[in-house]
Amino acid sequence: MPLLKLSHLRVSHGRVEALSDVSLVVEAGEIVALLGANGAGKTTTLRTISGLMRPDAGDVAFEGRSLVGLSPEMIVRAGIAHVPEGRRIFSGLTARENVLLGAANRPNLSRHAREAEADEVSALFPEIASFRDTLAWKLSGGQLQMVAVARGLMAKPKLLILDEPSLGLAPLIIQRVFDIIVEIRRRGTTVLLVEQNANMALSIADRGYVLETGRIVTSGCAAALGKNEAIKAAYLGQRAA
Amino acid sequence: MSALPQLIVAGIGMGSIYALVALGLVLIYRTTNVVNFAQGDFPMVGAFLLVICLFHAGMPYWAGILVALAGMAVFGGLFNLAVYYPLRNRSYLPVLISTLGASIFVQNTVLAAYGPQPANLPPLLPLRGFQVGGVFLDPQYLVIIVVSAALVLLQYLFFEKTYLGKKIQATAQDKETASLIGIPVRWMIMLTFVYSAVLGGVAGILVGPIMYFSIGMGTAIALKAFAATIIGGFGDIRGAILGGLGLGIIENLGAAYISVPYKDAFAFLVLFAFLMVLPQGIFGEKIAEKA
Amino acid sequence: MRTIQPRPRRAIPVEVPILAAGLALAGLALAQPLGGYATGIAMQAATCAIAVLGLTIVLGYAGQITLAQASFFGLGAYAVALGTADLGLSFWTAFLMAVAVSAAAGVALGLTSVRLGGHYLAMVTITFQQIFTLVLTNWAEVTHGPDGVPGIPRPELFGHALSDTRHYLAFSLVCLTLAVASVSWLRRTALGRAMEALRDNELAASVNGIDTVRVKVIAFALCATLGGIGGALFASGFAYISPDQFSLAESIVFLTMALLGGVKSALGTLVGASLLIVLPEVLRFLKEVYLAVYGAAVVLIMIFMPDGIWGWVVLFGDRLVRRGPQPRTAGPLRLRREAGDPGDVVLEVRNLAKTFGGLKALDSVDLEVRRNTIHALIGPNGSGKTTFVNVLSGLYRPSGGRIRFGGRDATARAPHVLSGRGLARTFQNIRLFRSMTCLDNVMVGAQRPGNDLSAEGGGVEARALSALDFVGLLDRADALVGDLPYGHQRKVEIARALAADPALLLLDEPAAGLNTTEKGQLVELLRRLKGLGLTILIIEHDMPLVEAVADQITVLNFGQRISDGTPAEVLRDPAVVTAYLGEAHVRAAA
Repeated sequence: MPLLKLSHLRVSHGRVEALSDVSLVVEAGEIVALLGANGAGKTTTLRTISGLMRPDAGDVAFEGRSLVGLSPEMIVRAGIAHVPEGRRIFSGLTARENVLLGAANRPNLSRHAREAEADEVSALFPEIASFRDTLAWKLSGGQLQMVAVARGLMAKPKLLILDEPSLGLAPLIIQRVFDIIVEIRRRGTTVLLVEQNANMALSIADRGYVLETGRIVTSGCAAALGKNEAIKAAYLGQRAA
Repeated sequence: MSALPQLIVAGIGMGSIYALVALGLVLIYRTTNVVNFAQGDFPMVGAFLLVICLFHAGMPYWAGILVALAGMAVFGGLFNLAVYYPLRNRSYLPVLISTLGASIFVQNTVLAAYGPQPANLPPLLPLRGFQVGGVFLDPQYLVIIVVSAALVLLQYLFFEKTYLGKKIQATAQDKETASLIGIPVRWMIMLTFVYSAVLGGVAGILVGPIMYFSIGMGTAIALKAFAATIIGGFGDIRGAILGGLGLGIIENLGAAYISVPYKDAFAFLVLFAFLMVLPQGIFGEKIAEKA
Repeated sequence: MRTIQPRPRRAIPVEVPILAAGLALAGLALAQPLGGYATGIAMQAATCAIAVLGLTIVLGYAGQITLAQASFFGLGAYAVALGTADLGLSFWTAFLMAVAVSAAAGVALGLTSVRLGGHYLAMVTITFQQIFTLVLTNWAEVTHGPDGVPGIPRPELFGHALSDTRHYLAFSLVCLTLAVASVSWLRRTALGRAMEALRDNELAASVNGIDTVRVKVIAFALCATLGGIGGALFASGFAYISPDQFSLAESIVFLTMALLGGVKSALGTLVGASLLIVLPEVLRFLKEVYLAVYGAAVVLIMIFMPDGIWGWVVLFGDRLVRRGPQPRTAGPLRLRREAGDPGDVVLEVRNLAKTFGGLKALDSVDLEVRRNTIHALIGPNGSGKTTFVNVLSGLYRPSGGRIRFGGRDATARAPHVLSGRGLARTFQNIRLFRSMTCLDNVMVGAQRPGNDLSAEGGGVEARALSALDFVGLLDRADALVGDLPYGHQRKVEIARALAADPALLLLDEPAAGLNTTEKGQLVELLRRLKGLGLTILIIEHDMPLVEAVADQITVLNFGQRISDGTPAEVLRDPAVVTAYLGEAHVRAAA
């Protein structure tokens, strides 16, 4: 049984159809990349998985159970953490407080256990220690991204969803974020990754899907997708390069 | 002029009431992005609940206060369910009008139940006024100031030191992300309404002994609390407190030295000046446009 | 908000039946006298309805909230009352005074609140209302204080005294009919369209040449004037007025009347006002709980009838009568060919900088766009492209640098000024006027100041239709723009910009969200536009599209220009390959 299975998902924003037919599978332990141009429907797909949008048709199944109709709170309790596009860190709270709030899906956790887990997660990102008590609006894009991933991991998810983690980051920082993603998978968390930076995403992913105007148009193992001429032309701009 | 300190103390007392109502207003605004135009009716309802407990049910003062505040908690919850929650996904305008309608409903329900005569509460503490360095102090004002200060401190500790406080702050800053990380946003909003109604109830109970209150008292208090939040900087808790105290003092001094009939106008003139010159208020929420 | 199907334009304007019905009603009031009590209620309804029509303009059309309408009603009433009863002026002189005073107060309120929206605006208007009430009650030497003003006379009309209440009612109904017809007609004028555009999307309105400050002030002035007229007629009709009739509570009642009826339509407003005047009389049996029921009704209306009673009527009417789309015809789209050689610099940007807090979104960027070329601006997400377009079009003030457009300085000019000089743009996240039809959307573009419409015979509508035809959507002209699929919405936005006959067209990611076929159509559309002599600056992620159309490419990264040149040069530039195509690519290529 796959960890996550989307079957024939159809979703609309008001009267405008955003996804017309999206099916994909994420197996436990994989890194799967979801690629596509701006406006293709990547973010809508992720928002549907985490319950922020309801599908008109189709199903989202997690460990064999349907998630359709569940609230975002219930879905994160089921084991899916979604790190949204643009980080969305609570700007009036400190880095540490943001990380701690990641455990909000487990209300029975004691304060002590929560602090201990936050230390453990933060160990993945030694940088965080230097700005742990800084209010988030003062942090840079790269620092925010680390806080966002740490906050996502605090939910102890089985599946971590990352929406454009490289957005607006300098190349060096992007490299660092991607190294962390690989490390997260090595520690046993499955990752579903949406990226504009397709080369980068395919360099760490096991498999990939390509979305175009609300439809999956291509899928396959990452290495093969990286060599696919049509994809290169459409998303990587390599035809002239 | 020995009247000045006295006027200032009374101003701070009334200003504390504005500040308490303004605090409730800001909390609701921050969690829901809605300005509740019925906020002023919360103290009115709280004061009348206590009147009913004391004079009609014959309870002792402390029991009356507990029952009245419990009643306010229920009232806040119902208010959320009936007035805000069904409209939560709509623009600010329908919600604003809805709170205006709720205000008319609440005032006239109390009117139908209690009648038009103004009411008054006995003093909270059986103390007489006393002189300090030639200044006459009414203990009721001191009670108001002390209780308000204690509440503000308690609220600060709650929001800064508890996990639940952090969750509510997160909800206020970004509801969607809050729900994405597993915070039950619906309950956080509910809690905000309940707390803000209790806060309003406390304000009503505090103000009851120093003035005769009537059904319409809420409108004036709400408008000044609202003015206080804008002067202080919309959505800012420090600003709401400072703005409330400032307004209380200004209108007391204005009434004493300039004109009694225009007492209510001073608050609005100050507000007008702020809106023209410094619309983002003292602690400034930035009104930024994004393309 | 629920959307209402637009009603297709009819051959006879809707104002004709309104005028006919209104006059018939006035005639009926003369011929079939009501009892004294009923006449009073009818008079109250007619005069209040005129004031509520002001809210149709300011809230329904322009989307601005006001809780001060009772103060304008009061200004008009007190002008007539004090003018006639105290100063001994004739009714008509006092009436003109009422119009002047309320209009001036409306302009003043409008000017103080142009920069404030939403809750702030609500608060400013409440403040205005409260101070008005305080002055009415306390400035007794002039206003008579809480006692009010008695003995207000009725006017004479064509030598005939309207002292008979029947005659006065007929007169009020005629005034009301004229007001309903005017407010209904206003919606179809350029000013009315500008107001609706402002309501639906203020940013898009400003980049389409609408001076949002001016339009807001005009809306407030018209609203106040209608309030003043209603109040003047009210005062004279009832002979006695007092401050409590013009309080904040009354302003709330006026607002509820407008919302209950349906605030976007003059007729709906009329329905709401009449209903809320008559309802208390019907509900008298409820006695003291009446106002509580009324308050609860306001909440319920907000929850269950977002478009008011008129919204229901229209919805129901459209279900009964299905009208097919009206056939439309359009001429070819003509764009001006400016004097000057192709290759002239249309847009020149030097050292442009923009910082947000400490973040440098743009860092001394240079750019030149030449006439009749397609110039592409590319760069990774977050590299400052959209900031650049926002600074160019006047939405952001630059922190440094100069912009010259069409040979004149264009640094930090207001968006509507730049639009008037021929700058048009689209938005990455489509900003259309969602509750308006396609045609109305495009007409807003066509009516920008300084647009030469002589080629189309001078018509804004003709111009808009040819722009819609150019993008292939003529048959959807009367559809609500919010109902169109995404790809079509993009095209409507381009048509809106084209209708303004721009000297420079800025397109912010026009291909985002389009499928392969639609992208092909976009390439073809851009080529046709270039053929017509247009100059285009396009921001795009889609590299094949950029390569297919661009004459020149500029690349941004972290707010800085890292490359500039022809497509062949730029796409081979190692700096571009690193920044835009990613490290992995470089590693793979190495």
